[in-house]
Amino acid sequence: MARVALTLGPLFFHWPAERLRNFYFRIADETSLERVHVGEVVCGKRMPFSDPVWPEIIERLERGGKEVVLSTLAAPATVRERKAIAELCADGRLVEINDITALPARSGRPFVTGPFLNVYNEATARFLARHGAATICPPVELSLDTVGTIAGACPEVGFELFAFGRLPLALSGRCYHARLHGLHKDSCQFTCEQDPDGLAVDTLDDQPFLAINGVQTLSAQIHSLLVEPAELAARNIRRLRLSPHGCDMVEVARTYRDLVEERQDPEGARFVLSCLELPGTLVDGYAHGLAGSQLAARA
Amino acid sequence: MTSNPHEHLRAPLSILRFLPPFSGLPLGPLLTLSLRSLARRRPGLFERLGEFGKARFLIDPIDLPFTFHVVPDGSAALVRAAGRSGEPPSDVVIRGPILLLLGILDGTLDGDALFFHRAISVSGRTEAVVALRNAIEDAELRPSDLLGLKGTAARLADSGILGGLSFARQIATGAHRRERTQP
Amino acid sequence: MTTSGRMELVCPAGTPSALRAAVQAGADSIYCGFRDETNARNFPGLNFSPQELAEGIRFAHAHGSKVLVAINTFARAGDTDPWRHAADTAAACGADAVIAADIAVLDHMATQHPGTRLHLSVQAAAATPESIGFYADAFNVRRVVLPRVLSVQEIAALNRLIKVETEAFVFGGLCVMIEGRCYLSSYAAGRSPNLNGVCSPPEMVSYDEDREGTAARLAGFTIDRYAPGEPAGYPTLCKGRFKAGDKAGYLFEDPVSLNAGSMIVAFKAAGVTALKIEGRQRGKGYVTEVVRAFRKAVDAAEQGHDATEIDNILAGLSEGGRQTTGAYRKIWR
Repeated sequence: MARVALTLGPLFFHWPAERLRNFYFRIADETSLERVHVGEVVCGKRMPFSDPVWPEIIERLERGGKEVVLSTLAAPATVRERKAIAELCADGRLVEINDITALPARSGRPFVTGPFLNVYNEATARFLARHGAATICPPVELSLDTVGTIAGACPEVGFELFAFGRLPLALSGRCYHARLHGLHKDSCQFTCEQDPDGLAVDTLDDQPFLAINGVQTLSAQIHSLLVEPAELAARNIRRLRLSPHGCDMVEVARTYRDLVEERQDPEGARFVLSCLELPGTLVDGYAHGLAGSQLAARA
Repeated sequence: MTSNPHEHLRAPLSILRFLPPFSGLPLGPLLTLSLRSLARRRPGLFERLGEFGKARFLIDPIDLPFTFHVVPDGSAALVRAAGRSGEPPSDVVIRGPILLLLGILDGTLDGDALFFHRAISVSGRTEAVVALRNAIEDAELRPSDLLGLKGTAARLADSGILGGLSFARQIATGAHRRERTQP
Repeated sequence: MTTSGRMELVCPAGTPSALRAAVQAGADSIYCGFRDETNARNFPGLNFSPQELAEGIRFAHAHGSKVLVAINTFARAGDTDPWRHAADTAAACGADAVIAADIAVLDHMATQHPGTRLHLSVQAAAATPESIGFYADAFNVRRVVLPRVLSVQEIAALNRLIKVETEAFVFGGLCVMIEGRCYLSSYAAGRSPNLNGVCSPPEMVSYDEDREGTAARLAGFTIDRYAPGEPAGYPTLCKGRFKAGDKAGYLFEDPVSLNAGSMIVAFKAAGVTALKIEGRQRGKGYVTEVVRAFRKAVDAAEQGHDATEIDNILAGLSEGGRQTTGAYRKIWR
C-alpha cells in the first residue's frame, strides 16, 4: 500500500512576520511533513508584510527536508498582484495555482491546484494534467468517493484532500474585517491581524457558524478528515492537507502521521485533536457526502 | 401568522356569487373536475411540478368560510373543500385573502413580494411552494380556468376578479410607496 | 475588447412565458437553462424542457431576439453525460450561444460544437486578462460574463487588454461572494450552486415562529430573525444577520439588490458589449417591467442621453427594497 504523504497547506490568516518565522521554523525542525506551502493566498495587500520573511523560511524548510510549494493568490485583481503571480510561476520550485490567472504562466511545467480552483470532474482534471497539474487538491465540498472517482480516472495526478482546518468556503471582493470595523478596504488598517484564526461569526441564536478572515469566509468548525489509510489508498488519494491554525500544528501533524502510519485509529486521532485548543468543534460532513457542518463519524 | 395587516384586501362580497357552490355543484368535485380537465389541456403545467404533484397543499382563503385541500397530481388531481375544523394533514399551508391568492394564480400579483410583505403566509415544505409558484408562474391561468367556469360566467368571473385585483394592487402599490419613503 | 456597437440587453427567463414576456418587452437576448442540475438556477418547477427550449428559440428568432443557454454548473464526477447532453441539445435547438463555467463543458463545446458561440459564465469567476485570455485561447470563448467584484474603471482597463466581449450585470439579485467559488450553501445545507445549481435550497428552509417573532432558518442555522409583522426575507446565507465581535447585523451584505442603471453610459464608455439582468427565478411580471424599463434606458444611452435622464427612466423600478451599484463603484468594498 502506497504511503499517504502529509502536506501543510498555505496559511490563510494574517500573522505578523515574527510569528510566521517562528511558526515555520518549528514546522521545519519538529515535523515530518513531506510538503509545506508558503505564500499569501487570501489578500494581496498583506504581501508586503510577509514577503521579506519567506526566503529564510523557505531555506529553513528545505534544510529540514520539506518540499516547498509556492502558493499564489486566489483572487488576484491589481497589476501588482498579477505580476506577483507571474513571478512565482517562473520559480523552479513547485507552484500552487489558486486561480486560472496563473495557468498561462505555468502551463507546461508541474503545478499543484489548490481547493480554490474548480476541479469537479475527471474531464477537468485530465485537462489540467495535460497542462502540468501534478497534484490536485479539489474543492472542499467534494466527498471522499467523488474525489476517488476523479482520481481513479486520472492516475497520472496525485490527489490531495483538505483534511484539517477551518474550511475555506468563500471569497469576496469585499473585506469583511474592514466592513465590520467601519473601514474601507483600501484603508483597512489590517484589522484581520487581530484574529489569527479568523473572527467567529455566530447566528442570532448564538450557534457557532462561520469565521471571517478579510475577504475570505471560513467555517467556524474544524474539518477533520480522519479515516483509515486503506480508505484513502483505495481511492487513489496520496496526500492529506493540513491547514495552519493557531493551535499546536506540530501536534496536529504528529496525530495525522500516526493515523496514516496506522499507529493510531481514527477514533483515537479524533480524541487527540479534540484535546488541542481548536477554534471550533470537529466536523467531517463534506468527506462523507453530507453538509460540511455535520459530523458523520461517531463522536 | 396571527395578525394580518392587509384587512383592506378582503374580497368584496360580490365576488362570492361567481363561486361554484352557487352554480349548483358541490365545490370539491367541481374543482377536482376542472383541475383534471386543465391537466388534460395543459399537461406541461403539471409536469413542471415534478414530484411535488403529489404534495398536499392546504389553501386557506381567510375571508371565505372554507379551505381547499389540493393534490395537483395531473389527471389524478384532487380538490376537497372543508371547514376550518378538522383540517386534513398537509405538506404546505398557504393562507391569505382570496383576491391575493387568485392574483398569484393568474400572475397579476407577485407571490414573492406578497409573501415577503406578509400579505400571505406560507408554511410547510418550502420546496413544494417554490415548485407550485413556478408552475403557476408559467401557466398564465385565468380565474375561470381554476373555477371551472365557461362562457358568460367565465367572462364575468374573470372581469370581476381581475378588476378586484387591479384595485387591490393599487392599494398594495400605495402601501409599498409609503414604506419606501420611510427612512 | 472595446466594442462600439449598440449595447445588447440580456434578459432572464425561468419559464417559457417569461421568455415570451422578455422578447415582447424588448430583450435583445434571453438566457435560460434546462430543468435540471446543469444550470445554476435549479429550483423546483423552474426552467425549460428540451422541447420548450426549441419552441422558445423559434419564438425568439421569429421576433429578432437571441437565446443564450446556461449550462453553468460543474459536471458531476463519473457522470458528466447530463452536461454533455445538455450542450448537445442546446446546439441542436439552435441556441445562439452556450454559457458555461466548467472546463469539462467548455472543452466539450469547443471540440464537438465549434460552430456554437461560447460565453464564459460568471461562475467561472474570470476577472483578469490572463484568466480570460486562457479561456479565449483554449476554448475560443467569445464573451465573458464579468464577476460582480470589478469597478467600472477596472472593467474599462480590462477591456483594453482582452480580445473577447464583456457582459456586465446591471440589475437584480446581488451575490456578495465571488460566484462559482462559494461553498457556504453546501456547508450549511448540503447542496450548492456548483454541485447542484442551488443556493440555500428551499427544502432546507424553515420559518419558525416563537415568542420573539419568526426565525428564518436554513438547515437549522438561524439566518435571520423578524419581529412579528416585520417583512421577512428568503434565508439566503450571505444576506442574513449574524453576530461577530461585539456587533450583530448584516455582516456580509445588507438586503439590497443591484441597480447599476445609472452606470449604463459608463459601461458603454468602458467598452462593455452586453448588459445583463438577473432574475431567472423571478416572475414574468418582473421580467416585463424591468426589461421594458432597461430597453428604454439603453436606447436613451445609445442616443446620447445623460445619466440623470436614464435615472429618471429607471426611477419606477424599485421594488421597495434598497438598491446598490455594488462593486461598480469602488466604495462598496
